[in-house]
Amino acid sequence: MAGDLSAQNTNGAARRFATALLRANGGTTASLQMPPLTGDSTDAAQLGLNAPNFQLLPLSPVAFRRARITLQEGEQQKYELLISAEAVAAQVSQLELTSADLLFSMAAGVVVAGKLFLIEATYVSESQGEVYLYRLLLREARGEWQLQ
Amino acid sequence: MENAKDTFYITLRNRLTSVNPNRTMLLRAVRRPGILVEEAEAPAAKLPLDVFVLRWTAVEMDMQLPSMLVRMTCEIHYTTAGTQANGGLDRGRALEEMDAELLQLLSPMNAQKMNYTTTQATAMGTDVFWTVPVFDSVKTLRDQLSRSVTVTVFVFQEQGEL
Repeated sequence: MAGDLSAQNTNGAARRFATALLRANGGTTASLQMPPLTGDSTDAAQLGLNAPNFQLLPLSPVAFRRARITLQEGEQQKYELLISAEAVAAQVSQLELTSADLLFSMAAGVVVAGKLFLIEATYVSESQGEVYLYRLLLREARGEWQLQ
Repeated sequence: MENAKDTFYITLRNRLTSVNPNRTMLLRAVRRPGILVEEAEAPAAKLPLDVFVLRWTAVEMDMQLPSMLVRMTCEIHYTTAGTQANGGLDRGRALEEMDAELLQLLSPMNAQKMNYTTTQATAMGTDVFWTVPVFDSVKTLRDQLSRSVTVTVFVFQEQGEL
């Protein structure tokens, strides 16, 4: 039996709908902590001696919420960040990257309301082969650094 | 101790460039040899593939000698999923290749201790030396094969050294 090879034309409705929903439901801004475009190739940088000069890359709209998981004693609280695919696509295009996965793998963390979180996992939601939402599972960082 | 840890990493990294110049990675916008110190990089949920990751664990000190002898344990972790060209079916061979590379990186089992905190790295008076590696058994997680290798690194603490 032949497979269904008919084309599914996406019109971006799912993306726009997700963006509108995120904006309407307390949409805020989160920033990826990214390495500078020109890296430091010295020995000192590889040994943790030089400041990494991370730059903040804003993503908006996003929704930030506490993940519904069973907490273990001594474990840091986990959170979920829902990010508009339009916002991610804009940054992927601006940085001339090949994929959103690469963008998230380059990030050293995520800053939300001045607090640093570490990326534990990345998921996507898609409709008709088009990603309309990215979900990041975040873990609270132990360092109590206030980041702008 | 920090000088010994730095020297151990830089020695292995420099040897890797001649043992396998193709083992490189792109990290923090820099293309560099595929070896890193875990505690000197951003925390990650998963270790990168096809890269040697150095993790410093135990430290013991022998105070009975004229100079304090420090014994540190370095775990070297590496994971591979094989190559795309072979659909990952060569992951056993890829791990074997990393085993062989690591043996070459660790030989000879000593290096002159250097201080990398100065603008120009400066040579110190003693050597850093280490034991033969102890290879742990392979761990399989779906399409990935991982191994952990333990090396004990020795160094004499010099006057005024941290």
